[in-house]
Amino acid sequence: MKRMIGGLATGRPAENEEIDHMLSSEDEILPSSGFAVAVMDAIQREAATPPPIPFPWKRALPGMVVGGFIFVLALVAVVAIFVYLPMTSTIPQVSAAPPLLGPLGLRGGGGIESATKWTVLALLMAFVSVKLSMRLAAGRA
Amino acid sequence: MSASEDQSAVERVLAGDIAAFEGIVRRWQGPLINLAYRFCHDRGRAEEMAQEAFLRAYRGLNQWRKDAVFSTWLFALATNLYRSELRRIPARFVSLDEIAEPADTRASDRDLEDENEDRNSTVRRAVFALPSKYREALILFYFHDMDVTAAARSLALPEGTVKARLFRGRELLRSKLPQMLAVPRLKEA
Repeated sequence: MKRMIGGLATGRPAENEEIDHMLSSEDEILPSSGFAVAVMDAIQREAATPPPIPFPWKRALPGMVVGGFIFVLALVAVVAIFVYLPMTSTIPQVSAAPPLLGPLGLRGGGGIESATKWTVLALLMAFVSVKLSMRLAAGRA
Repeated sequence: MSASEDQSAVERVLAGDIAAFEGIVRRWQGPLINLAYRFCHDRGRAEEMAQEAFLRAYRGLNQWRKDAVFSTWLFALATNLYRSELRRIPARFVSLDEIAEPADTRASDRDLEDENEDRNSTVRRAVFALPSKYREALILFYFHDMDVTAAARSLALPEGTVKARLFRGRELLRSKLPQMLAVPRLKEA
């Protein structure tokens, strides 16, 4: 069973035998008298613990899908802003279409001011919705 | 107890007889505690780590594939746990440069047993000061009675890797403890 690899591997059998001798003679310790009982107590406790509640996938999935969709939309919007901003800033702002006013009187035509306003509006809405949901959750608890 | 008894105990536990796990604990508590002790050289911590190993074994019993004997699986699980634990909270190791050479035996009037114990203790501390991958290979190799295959299984490493680490670990030991290893034990002669 024993495989003495020391001397064969290094070409220094005497030194390896010395190391083998010293490291093989490690003292054995005996388990404490109550060790097995303590382990079994811990295992009984473990077995008595109810299994963890499974994650509510059915409830969470629609929210996750909507959240993902919103995230992708936001990503596209951010990319679009960064792609179109340089173009709109170099082109002279001549618009043939009649000026469209948004809910806050924002122009729909683009421009860094417009993008900033829309971003601020989106952030504001997100903040309000988070606050609202937190208040609702606190009210239920 | 034999491997088949381990297997039947595992099957009973998996069937819901938790008390059957006690047989496994009683059978393997000594080896698991001693293995932990070799990793940390702290009796209290060794028992804590061994207890955690048994708990993990209990939780993961259904993951034991019966292509290897139960003890092989148990030692691999315990070794993995001990290594992570020692990485998380290292044992009090000293660096290789801090390992003192043993006292001059000519000037000592202690008996041979004390002298050998000093030498063994110094070598063990030198092992503790080795980089972890060499230290772990040496610990497992000597724990498994110098069985490279068993050490490799416990470490989940190829045998060749373990042999290379043993070789390098011994080279490092030799470089730090040249006098002690070169001097023949005169009193024994």
